Amino acid sequence: MAYKPQYGPGTSIVAENRRKQMNPGQKLEKVRSVTDEDIVLILGHRAPGSAYPSAHPPLAEQQEPDCPMRKIVKPTEGAQAGDRVRYIQFADSMFNAPSQPYQRTYTEMYRFRGIDPGTLSGRQIVECRERDLEKYSKELIETEMFDPALVGIRGATVHGHSLRLAEDGMMFDMLQRNVLGEDGIVKYVKNQIGEPLDRAVAVGKPMDQKWLKAHTTIYHSLVGTAYRDDTEYVEYVQRIHSLRTKYGFMPKEE
Amino acid sequence: MAKIERSQKLFLKALKEKFQGQDVESETAEFYKFNGVRQSPRKMEFMKASRAVEMDRGVSMYDPERCHLGGIPMGQRQLMTYEVSNTGVFVEGDDLHFVNNAAMQQMWDDIRRTVIVGMDLAHQTLQKRLGKEVTPETINEYLHILNHAMPGGAVVQEHMVETHPGLVDDCYVKVFTGDQELADDLEPQFVLDVEKLFPAKQAEALSAAVGKSLWQAIHIPTTVSRTCDGGTTSRWSAMQIGMSFIAAYRMCAGEAAVADLSYAAKHAGVIQMASHLPARRARGPNEPGGIMFGVFSDIIQANRKYPNDPAKASLEVVGAGTMLFDQIWLGSYMSGGVGFTQYATAAYTDNILDEFTYYGMDYAKDKYKVDWKNPSPGDKVKPTQEIVNDLATEVTLNAMEQYEQYPTMMEDHFGGSQRAGVIAAASGLTTSITTGNSNAGLNAWYLSMLLHKDGWSRLGFFGYDLQDQCGSANSLSMVSDRGLMGELRGPNYPNYAMNVGHQGEYAAIVGSSHYGRGDAFCYSPLVKVCFADPSLKFDFAEPRREFAKGAIREFMPAGERSLIIPAR
Repeated sequence: MAYKPQYGPGTSIVAENRRKQMNPGQKLEKVRSVTDEDIVLILGHRAPGSAYPSAHPPLAEQQEPDCPMRKIVKPTEGAQAGDRVRYIQFADSMFNAPSQPYQRTYTEMYRFRGIDPGTLSGRQIVECRERDLEKYSKELIETEMFDPALVGIRGATVHGHSLRLAEDGMMFDMLQRNVLGEDGIVKYVKNQIGEPLDRAVAVGKPMDQKWLKAHTTIYHSLVGTAYRDDTEYVEYVQRIHSLRTKYGFMPKEE
Repeated sequence: MAKIERSQKLFLKALKEKFQGQDVESETAEFYKFNGVRQSPRKMEFMKASRAVEMDRGVSMYDPERCHLGGIPMGQRQLMTYEVSNTGVFVEGDDLHFVNNAAMQQMWDDIRRTVIVGMDLAHQTLQKRLGKEVTPETINEYLHILNHAMPGGAVVQEHMVETHPGLVDDCYVKVFTGDQELADDLEPQFVLDVEKLFPAKQAEALSAAVGKSLWQAIHIPTTVSRTCDGGTTSRWSAMQIGMSFIAAYRMCAGEAAVADLSYAAKHAGVIQMASHLPARRARGPNEPGGIMFGVFSDIIQANRKYPNDPAKASLEVVGAGTMLFDQIWLGSYMSGGVGFTQYATAAYTDNILDEFTYYGMDYAKDKYKVDWKNPSPGDKVKPTQEIVNDLATEVTLNAMEQYEQYPTMMEDHFGGSQRAGVIAAASGLTTSITTGNSNAGLNAWYLSMLLHKDGWSRLGFFGYDLQDQCGSANSLSMVSDRGLMGELRGPNYPNYAMNVGHQGEYAAIVGSSHYGRGDAFCYSPLVKVCFADPSLKFDFAEPRREFAKGAIREFMPAGERSLIIPAR
C-alpha cells in the first residue's frame, strides 16, 4: 500500500491550516497579484530584465557523468540553465501571521523541488536556483501564506516576529522595508536586504483579523487558538517524545 | 495536565519598570521614535569614551551611528533595561556582558584558580617514609608557610624574587575535614568549618562523606590564572606546596621523598574543577568546557543558604551557569563577540524563569502533594514517563500562555532561543525537583522543546535542531556513547558541546534534583565545602546578586594592577 502522508495531527483550525499548506494536493488560495518584475525587485538579486547570472554552463552544454541518479532526478529549470543559488527569507509575526518558520519549511519541502530551507525562530530562508526561486517566491507572496503587514521579506536584520505590532498594525522592521500607505496598501520601498528601490512595490492590503485568525498556522491563546485546547495535537507530541525516549534504550522486539 | 490558578506574576514588576507608562498587556507599541542609541545612557557613555580613545590612539573605534546598517543605528525600538532576577536591581543589557561586569569575571576567575589537594598522602609520606611527626601544630606551621608561599613568597631558597602581596591578596589556602576534633585543633583562620558553614543536616552528611581526610582548598592568584590558564592552577599550587613541606618539615630539598610529595600535589591528590578537553576543543584542566554539571551545582552554594527553597537554589545555578557556559565558554572561548550574552541573560533577568519555575512548584504541590519547601527524598514522585510528560507539558503550556498574554514579555524575550531555553528550563527544574531524578528533568526539557516547536512552529536558532530534537532518545539512556547520568554530563558531552542556551540550565536541572531531595551535595562533597568559603572574592551563594553588583559597578574584584601601573 502506498504511503499516504497525513500532514500532522490536531483537530483545531490551526492544525487544519497547517495540513492544507503542506498538502500539495490542495491548491493554495490566491489572495493578491504581484508582477514578476516586482518579485525580482523585492528579491534584489538581479535587475529586472537582466540575464540570469550563472554558476556553471547549462547542463546540456557540459559533459554529464554517467550517473544513474542524474538519470532518475530531473533537474529543475534553474539547475538546467546553471543559475546561481539565491534566496528569499521571511519573518513571520507571532500575532497570527498565516505561515510560520517550520510550517514554511514543511510546506516548501512538500510543494517545491530543488530547495534548501533553513528554519530559525525569527526567520525562515529557502535557497534554490534563481529562476526557480522567482517562481516559488511568487507563490509564497501571492497566496494565503502571506500577509503584507505580518509577514516581512527580510534578508538581514530580520528582528520583529515576537514584538508588539506598530500602531498601524505593521510588524516592526527596524529598516522599514515595507510601509503602510495612506491608501491602505503596503509597499516595499527597500528590497529584502534593505537597499532602497527606485520605485515602491505594492503587495496589497493587510488582511483583517478575522481572516488572519481563520488562516493562521500558529497557536496563540490571546489572539487566536489556544494550543492547550487542541488536545489531540499535544498528546501526539507527547507520544512522539515517549517513543523516542523508549527507543533510546534500543528495546528489542519480542 | 490541568492549568492551576496562580495570581502572583513575578515578572510584572519588571515589565512595568521596563515599559514605563505602557500597558504591558497591549499588543501594539510605538516604534522608530526613540532617537536610536542615544536613548541609552550606557551607549552614550560608550560613544564619549570612544572619542577619548580615538584622540589618544589615532585609530577609529566605536561608531554605532555610522557603522550599524549604513546609518540606521539600533534603537529603532525601545532599548530595554533588565532586572537581574530576584535582586530588584535594574541594569542596562550592556552591563551584563562579562567584559563590562567585574563580578562575572571574578566568578570564573575564582573557579579557574581553585584546586583541592588532599593532605593524607603527603602526611603518610612524612610519617611512614621519613618518620616525621605530623601534629596539629606542624600542620598549622605548614599552613602558615603555605599562605606565605602560595601567593608567591619564597621559602627555602636565598635571593629569590617574590610577588607583591597587594597584587595577589586573593590567594590563600584553607583546609577542611569531616573530623571535627581535628578541625577544632587547627587555627580557625585556616579552617573551613563544615559545622559552622552548613545547616546541620547538610553538615552531617558532608562530614560523613569527607571523613577523617584533610583537604586543602587552594586558590592561586587571579592574576596568575588570567595570565596563564586553568592548567596552571595545579602546577602553581603544587610547586608552592612542595616548597612549603620542605620548609615546614625541615626536609632536604633534593631528597627522593620530595618526589612523592610532588606527585601527590600534582596528580594523586588533586581534585581539578574541570577535566581537560579533547584536541578539537583543546583546553587544559580547570577550563569551563570540562566542568561536569554535578560539580558546577556543587560550586554554586545557594542550596546551602536557602535549603528550603530548591527553586531559588536552582535558579541561582541557572544564572551562574548561563553566564559561565554561554557568555564565557561558548560565547568567547569557543566563539567570540557579543551575541551570546542575551541568550544567557534571558534566563536570569526580569524574574521570568522564576515565575515559570514557581508555577511548576505550585503545580507539583497541588497535583502530586510534593512539599517542595521542605526538601526530602521521602515525598519525591516516581519518575514515570507519564508523570514526566505531565509536568513538562503543563509547565510548558503555562509558560507559552504567559508569553502570549503579556506581549511585552514576548518582546522582552524577543528571540526564540531565549524563550526555548527558559521554558524548557522551567519544565526541567520542576520535574527534577518533583522526582529527585536529574535525567527525568533532562527528559522533561526535551519534551518541552518538542511541544514548543510544534505550538509556535519555531524554536531557537539552527543549533536547536540538533540536540533538542534528538534529546528525548538520549536523556534517559545510559548506554555508553549515547547517555550518561546528568551529574556526569558537562559542556563537552557530545550533543551539548556547541549549543548556547542550554548548558547552564542543564547544570541547574542536575542540581535541582538534589536540592529537591535536600541532599547536601550533588556530586562532590569536597567541592561543596571548598566553595562555601566566605573569604572568596565572589559569593557563590548569591551569583545573581553578585552579577547585579558588578553591573552597577559596586563589585570589587581581585587581580587589579593599579599598584604597578601609572596612576590615571
